[in-house]
Amino acid sequence: MKAFQFVRPRSSTEAAQGLADSADARVHSGGCDLLDRMKERIEEPAVLVSLCDAEGLGDVRIEEDGSIWIGARVTLAQLAESDVVRRFLPTLGEAAGLAASPQLRHRATIAGNLAQHTRCGYYRVKSFPCLKRGGDSCPVRADGGVQDTAGIFGNAACASAHPSSLAPVLGSLDAEIAIRDAKTLRFVAFADFWAAPAKGRASDTILKSGEVIEAVRLPARDAKQHVGFAEIRQKKAFDWALVSCAVRYETDAEGRVTQARAWLGSVAPAPYRATKAEAALVGKAVTDEVAVKVGDAALADATPLAGTTYKVQLAKVALKRALAAAREKA
Amino acid sequence: MSDDAPREEGARRGLTRRSLFKGAGAAAAAGAVFRSLDASAKDDVPAGPRTQGPGKAKLTLQVNGQSREVQAEPRETLLEVLRLPLDLTGAKPVCNRGQCGACTVWLDGTPVYACSVLAVEAEGRKVTTVEGLGNPDDMHAVQSAFVEKDALQCGFCTSGLVMSAAWAVGKHGPDLSEEQARAACSGNLCRCGTYPHVVEAAIAAAKTAKKGG
Repeated sequence: MKAFQFVRPRSSTEAAQGLADSADARVHSGGCDLLDRMKERIEEPAVLVSLCDAEGLGDVRIEEDGSIWIGARVTLAQLAESDVVRRFLPTLGEAAGLAASPQLRHRATIAGNLAQHTRCGYYRVKSFPCLKRGGDSCPVRADGGVQDTAGIFGNAACASAHPSSLAPVLGSLDAEIAIRDAKTLRFVAFADFWAAPAKGRASDTILKSGEVIEAVRLPARDAKQHVGFAEIRQKKAFDWALVSCAVRYETDAEGRVTQARAWLGSVAPAPYRATKAEAALVGKAVTDEVAVKVGDAALADATPLAGTTYKVQLAKVALKRALAAAREKA
Repeated sequence: MSDDAPREEGARRGLTRRSLFKGAGAAAAAGAVFRSLDASAKDDVPAGPRTQGPGKAKLTLQVNGQSREVQAEPRETLLEVLRLPLDLTGAKPVCNRGQCGACTVWLDGTPVYACSVLAVEAEGRKVTTVEGLGNPDDMHAVQSAFVEKDALQCGFCTSGLVMSAAWAVGKHGPDLSEEQARAACSGNLCRCGTYPHVVEAAIAAAKTAKKGG
């Protein structure tokens, strides 16, 4: 790592100010992803503005209106063990408890999980050209490119995939991201939090210089809504998702879906909302047969590379499994 | 997280004096940094956020129940500081990317990868390494059980696995299940494949433990 100055603000406002004041600062919290990038020297910031001493960012709490507030620094381990999360947001607790390893879950934060960068091997190694790091093209898309971690949607310019398995869950629950700058706190809908890949744009979020994630807010959820999560990966533990999926739906008295959310992870440069799956669900009772049709509809527009055609089928299976889980879990 | 923001014209690296006067919050925010960048301006600056580095500075760490002073830069990881200045070589540097578990230590009683924690962050928190768990003359139950159950071969992953297994024993006590032991050790890779013996050792040690102990 290149040498840097370590700044320890006491609040998120101070942190935002510190970020705004430096031309070359990064937010540091769990450090799980950031320090790896710095060790690889694909990022060499002069200043880390750490949230390690900032107050008020470490709580999970229920607000007066029933919404749930999850502070930026809440760890994946806290999410997995929180009574509030387990009771009201079971799919979030499930995804958090399955992620990474105990050591990482004790450090990795919900905000860092969203702001982490792609696992693309070309992006992570400085000697390769990479669009995200300012190169002219994406080597994943080249003939003979290693495509294991590549996405199957939105991959025309850059074939990266956002690796978070919590992200599809937060999307399915209509989360909002609370963003602090030096003067204001604003809320951004989950779907609007993401920025498409572009030359020289390493981050996949809309966060600007001088902005810091303060919290993730989840609206109060009607207990009758069904939620389900599924993750497919090579190893049972300590592995990244090949595909993850989270769904949420409500049904009428006859058991027909009236409203649905379906999100996929690790398939696109940002968490991917499968609107065609949602449309295919509405008006139907959720059965295995319907789940297969929902998967076919969701993946009809996929643009897999030669090395990721298998991910199309995995995504269909993930959707089917998430829907099966949701049938059980109201 | 501000990776893609346009670089401000004329802004220099580090915080600037200008920030000091941007507003009440900013005045509080920039003081300490300001002082570290510009020694000529030690006027009535209110205390702002604490800053460290980029050069070496004194750190006081609580390691294995002892207060230890070191000189370290912010970029030095907890693993680096434990091994070099402090000469605690139990935690091993292997991948240095939070992917193998050989550097597992406890921070305030929970296992973390010491390669992915900055030493400056560990100030004021309790650090426990395998040396703090026990020694050859007075071994922790998990260390004894590793010997008893032959839970190691080349040994490189062992100190990390001991820390994870001992955490599981402390957390679950005598009721530690095979599944819980496996889950607790899932962030530690062993090239020799000693996992079954590690799980056996954790469960054997748990039977002698009190819950939360």
